Amino acid sequence: MSAWLDSLQFVYAPQIVNGLSIGVAVILMALGLTIIFGLLDVINMAHGEFYALGAYLGTSLLLTGLSFWLVLFLVPLIMLPIGYATERLLIQRVFHHKERHILTLLLTFGMAIVLEDVFKLVYGPNPLRPDSPIEGATELLGMMFPTYRVFLMGVGVVIVAAVWWVVYRTRLGAMVRAAAFDRNMAASLGVPVLRVYAGTFAFGVALAGLAGVLLAPVYSVFPTMGKDFILMAFSVVIVGGLGSIKGAIIAGLLLTQVQALSSLYISPVWSDPLVFGIMVLVLMFRPQGLFGRLGHG
Amino acid sequence: MNTIIKTQVVTALWAAGLLAMVAPGAQAQTGPVKIGVVTPLSGTYAPIGAQVKMGLDLALQEINQAGGIMGRKVELIYEDEEANPQVAVQKAEKLFQQAKVDFLTGTVNSGSTLAVGQVAERNDKLIATTVSFSDAITGDKCSPNVFRVNAKAGQQSVALAEWLAKEKPGASLFLLGPDYEMGRSTVAAFKDAAVQRGVKASGELFAPLDSKDYSSYFGQIRAARPQVFYTSTAGNDTVRLFSQLVEYGMNKNMTMIGVSGAITAQNIKAIGKNAEGFVTGVGYTPEIDNPQNKRFVADFVKANKISPDLYGADSYGVLYFYKAAVEKAKSTETAKVRKAMEGLVWSTPQGDKTMRAADHQAIQDMYAVKIVNGDFTIVSKVPGEKALGPSTCKRW
Repeated sequence: MSAWLDSLQFVYAPQIVNGLSIGVAVILMALGLTIIFGLLDVINMAHGEFYALGAYLGTSLLLTGLSFWLVLFLVPLIMLPIGYATERLLIQRVFHHKERHILTLLLTFGMAIVLEDVFKLVYGPNPLRPDSPIEGATELLGMMFPTYRVFLMGVGVVIVAAVWWVVYRTRLGAMVRAAAFDRNMAASLGVPVLRVYAGTFAFGVALAGLAGVLLAPVYSVFPTMGKDFILMAFSVVIVGGLGSIKGAIIAGLLLTQVQALSSLYISPVWSDPLVFGIMVLVLMFRPQGLFGRLGHG
Repeated sequence: MNTIIKTQVVTALWAAGLLAMVAPGAQAQTGPVKIGVVTPLSGTYAPIGAQVKMGLDLALQEINQAGGIMGRKVELIYEDEEANPQVAVQKAEKLFQQAKVDFLTGTVNSGSTLAVGQVAERNDKLIATTVSFSDAITGDKCSPNVFRVNAKAGQQSVALAEWLAKEKPGASLFLLGPDYEMGRSTVAAFKDAAVQRGVKASGELFAPLDSKDYSSYFGQIRAARPQVFYTSTAGNDTVRLFSQLVEYGMNKNMTMIGVSGAITAQNIKAIGKNAEGFVTGVGYTPEIDNPQNKRFVADFVKANKISPDLYGADSYGVLYFYKAAVEKAKSTETAKVRKAMEGLVWSTPQGDKTMRAADHQAIQDMYAVKIVNGDFTIVSKVPGEKALGPSTCKRW
């Protein structure tokens, strides 16, 4: 019995907590992705690169001597106009075409390739690692855990709760949901649909940028960093249901726990194929995902 | 058409060993001796490539000041391999075909060395690695065109395993390596050497090269509760691994050991005090007490403001290896130089090394070194012949 408790404390608990910290990071990425899809019906293939852009912007600002906390606040603010402009100038151009899905997918995919090369040209191929703003380790349930990751979990939960509140409890969120449900009806009732679209896209992009700054001290900053996370984020969004906020949160927690616990028994390299396998199964037997779209159901 | 006939004639003469008599061959024997360097100048192994370059540049300067090789100046041509075998192959092909280099060195990633070795065979040129650890390079995947002047994983393992068996007899051991040729080879070699000496292996894992987050690997390590933890990560990977091990409080009850490339002069500063107490088996340390090494370390520090590590020392040594071989062969032709290299004894910062003809592996004394107050301190020594087992190369 005591051996079992012991392994619960020293083997399973740290793994679960670590899975949670990765889960929160993945959810931050998945949220932006799922909100953009839920409202605009656009799969943003460049989401990972916006995450990288946030991380690079954050690193540059840190180099000018600004404090991490200020940078954490500034980067999403800088990302907002970038996202807004991207939607108005690029996505709107192909948005009303009847092949919207294919065209927006190709457009954002192209943007991803361009951005990745721009990062490489400007910052070079070597990874940069900003210093962690919170050093040291905290003792949690008798085990050591990096303080910054504990902070990351706390901040992540706050951000997720804030997004939930904005979408479901504010007038702005109601407008977004209305536009997602029926844009013609929403427009005739006076909702500025085009601005809501661009604004929502900007919001999703700002979330990605924020995730970039938050995760930079843990995962370093490098040109292909967007690809690392985007596959996991896509799996989460697909399993949770494209466009569902609740789905992204639940699937994010679920899949990262599958990853964390399975890596006790198989090589962690194999936990990725396991997660993608679950995604394939969900696509086969419940293609709409665990939960429905934003504004629907 | 003309060129095709000419090429065929050249090939025919080449096969007959008469190349020195035709014009292109004769021409290649004048002008500077060109040596290609395909090494990672970017990516996770960039710190290793930096030492390779420092070592080569220092030797180049010395050799050219002393009149070059057989009176010809030496020229180094660098290409970035990004620690990626595919890139390394393209860059090596370019150096052989366009720059017409006489000799090539610098490859770091063991996969790159094996792949570039095949390019060298196709181009009938010689290469030498000064860094790659994988036993296969001078073992079952040996090549008549590939030489290794540094110590391979097997040699390093013997030195470290001897120390471990003496200090912690019967300890339980967990091994972690990067998931490619070098990682698999070093982990297998050390596990063998340690288990033979009574150490218990309690698990092993392989993480992709350039992993950003090792925390997902810690679960299995915690579950195994090892007393000794071995790693064969290198460069920035070790920096991340060690800082994460410490952040998760994993290093408290474990003795940390690893491959010689895990912690070197290039990344020891970034690892900081977390590197304290780490033990490795290695073929070079600036501490080696002989006049050649003292002079080398002083010159290296003067030129680069940083101590040489094993890569810097072996890359410095490889130019003298090539110089000695060419001067012995009195030619830069592949067949003659190869013959001269086999069995060659040449002088390096580690003392005299011998290039074994049977597998093209250098024989040298090996050391177990421990990091004490940020410096590598020799804790035990294994003589060259004992550290290197019999040749397993069967190609010639």
